[in-house]
Amino acid sequence: MARSYLFIPGNVPRMLQNMDVFDADAVIVDFEDAVATSDKDEARHLTSKFLQKHFPETCEIYVRVNAEQPWLEADIIAIKDLPLNGVVLPKTDVETLSLATELFDKHATAFDIIGIIETPRAFFHLETIFAHPSFKGAILGGEDLRKHIGFKPNDIALAFPRTQLLYAAASFNKIVVDTPYTGMDNAALEADIENASALGYKAKCAIHPNHVPTINAAFLPSTTAIKTAMRIVKQHENTGSMRFSLDGKMIDKPVILEAKDTLKRARKYGMEIRDSDET
Amino acid sequence: MRHESLAALLEHLPIKDGLKLSFHHHLRNGDAVLNMVLRAIYDRDIRDIQLYPSGIFPVHTAILEGLKQERITNITTNYLNGPVADHLKKHGLPGKLTMQTHGGRARAIIEGDTRIDIAFIATPAVDKANNGSGITGKNACGSLGYAIEDAKHSKITVLITDTIVDRLEVPQIKKEDVDHVLVVPSIGDVAGIESGTLKITNDPLGLKIARDTMRVIEAAMFLKEGVSFQSGAGGISLAITALFTKALEKKGITASFFTGGITAAHVKALEAGLVKNLYDVQCFDKVAIRSLRENANHRFMSASDYANPHNPKRKIKDLDIVILGASEIDTDFNVNVTSDSYYKIIGGSGGHADTAEDAKLSIIVSPLIKARTALIKDQLTTRTTPGEHIDCLITERGIAVNPKHKTLKKQLQAAGLNVMTIEAMQNLAHAFTDIPNPIRKPAGILGRIEGRRGETLDTLYWGES
Repeated sequence: MARSYLFIPGNVPRMLQNMDVFDADAVIVDFEDAVATSDKDEARHLTSKFLQKHFPETCEIYVRVNAEQPWLEADIIAIKDLPLNGVVLPKTDVETLSLATELFDKHATAFDIIGIIETPRAFFHLETIFAHPSFKGAILGGEDLRKHIGFKPNDIALAFPRTQLLYAAASFNKIVVDTPYTGMDNAALEADIENASALGYKAKCAIHPNHVPTINAAFLPSTTAIKTAMRIVKQHENTGSMRFSLDGKMIDKPVILEAKDTLKRARKYGMEIRDSDET
Repeated sequence: MRHESLAALLEHLPIKDGLKLSFHHHLRNGDAVLNMVLRAIYDRDIRDIQLYPSGIFPVHTAILEGLKQERITNITTNYLNGPVADHLKKHGLPGKLTMQTHGGRARAIIEGDTRIDIAFIATPAVDKANNGSGITGKNACGSLGYAIEDAKHSKITVLITDTIVDRLEVPQIKKEDVDHVLVVPSIGDVAGIESGTLKITNDPLGLKIARDTMRVIEAAMFLKEGVSFQSGAGGISLAITALFTKALEKKGITASFFTGGITAAHVKALEAGLVKNLYDVQCFDKVAIRSLRENANHRFMSASDYANPHNPKRKIKDLDIVILGASEIDTDFNVNVTSDSYYKIIGGSGGHADTAEDAKLSIIVSPLIKARTALIKDQLTTRTTPGEHIDCLITERGIAVNPKHKTLKKQLQAAGLNVMTIEAMQNLAHAFTDIPNPIRKPAGILGRIEGRRGETLDTLYWGES
């Protein structure tokens, strides 16, 4: 349901202190790539102490742990008592997923896992990964995948992994989040979101807070979509029918469910929905 | 009378102890005139100098020398930072420091509260008839707005220039107000005017504050045809100016005027036809200087026409919106932009108190936590602008509306903005910073904050905190 997943480094006090003012629907505190090896202990300590005292109430909070030992276990020990919405596991495949959940058990904790799918091999095990009971959903790790495959930054090459993850997520009713845009050009960010959105994505990662407003705005339902959804849901509720026509188009169960989802997202993000919107 | 050397000029001036000397700060940190003149006066062993520069910048090292040599007794200015401020914090003044507003300084000069003996005016171009202007010359700095009343009302007015032209079409300082002209190789380095922020912030907190400020302006129903607007040259202000300009374009409306210090961001709106006039008391960058020279709807104005509270034609009387900063604000919305929390001078009102009082919507924008301390204090270090003139405070964590503006509060709440009391916002900050121990007020009295009508708003202190 979150539209924007903002990565912030776990060892930068100013970013931690302001994690809930960047307007991201979800914040991922990073212990992995954004934190140098020499600073990982500092990130664990700072994040843990900060979140114990100032756990935000207005956005979802995740921690991106390291995939490798012994860092992964140290990360889990540092966060095991925090009321996180989950952990983000990089380089997710069947083995890393098993290792993470074993370590959760070892330290008497449990978290939902959002896995970053960023290795070619993982794409051959999506069914096993998505079926894992702790697996909440996937983030596409486009940059790492690009390095593995060797393609240049472009949306044609990303279309395949993007679509694969969408289909897997839909099959298992899990969430899926698009890879972050890595530049600072807002027009290019909008184009990148448009490409992901056209495939079916409704959420995207951000690696800079200034990307968040654009992502949030792009994944808000449009006023037209809300009005149409209201009419569909209202006719469905009034007639009890799962199949009817509206404006010359056939409406059936998937369309009704999509309309309900549109209204649910609109309400969640504070969009005004009034009866007058129906006309 | 024209002079080719400073020594020759001084031979014709009544240089003596106790003189009241004024300078302006349009060249900001690129000014060479103040240092040049003061050092020549020190060479004549003059003491008890009463100094009236409109602003003091780090480049003004001659003031520091004069203080150390105990030649300067009193200083009256609108803005002060750098080594002079450091010295005053440690050693005080033999007399007193008076911090005025831009409009208040002009009022005091016109009404005779301030009687300047000699105004030394750095003037980028002087014509053969002795008219002066800032829009041309090798150190063109644009508007000379803060010097115009000095020229009109000082006993003696001296233009100091490095460029003589045949004729100035639109003089900013008129020949009838000029007594002497001194030609020097250089009046400074115009690049020094761009010593401030002057870049749109890329800081996510600053941009969030800017976006929320636009939402406040829209919710308060000010975004309509003919709106007038003032913002400064700080990073957040420039971001707001850019967003304001975009909003004008999106709504298909035209602002009547932008006023105050002018930047490239303001010029962009003028050139796009989104604002009819720029009324410019000070240019903050080269784009503004070029625009003032080329665009008839970009007009200079004097500090009196800008903000003198007793001038019925002052431009800010018709100002709708002003965006202002704060180094501290208290729970009664009183604002400090003059000192840091250790009582050291770090700036000054400039037009802060003037515009806050006159504008219909006076908005303070600032991060809630600055240098690991809360912006909002129970008690201010220094009161620059009375809280009764502030309408709201916008930080990254929400919007606090002055309780006396009940309509504004309702408008913002109706628009779904995150409105809270200033006390609640202070508590949010204290949750992170805790409540610091009070800082001891220094024992020495340095001077006073003077309101725009000459009233005392607060006391300035020097010594250990």
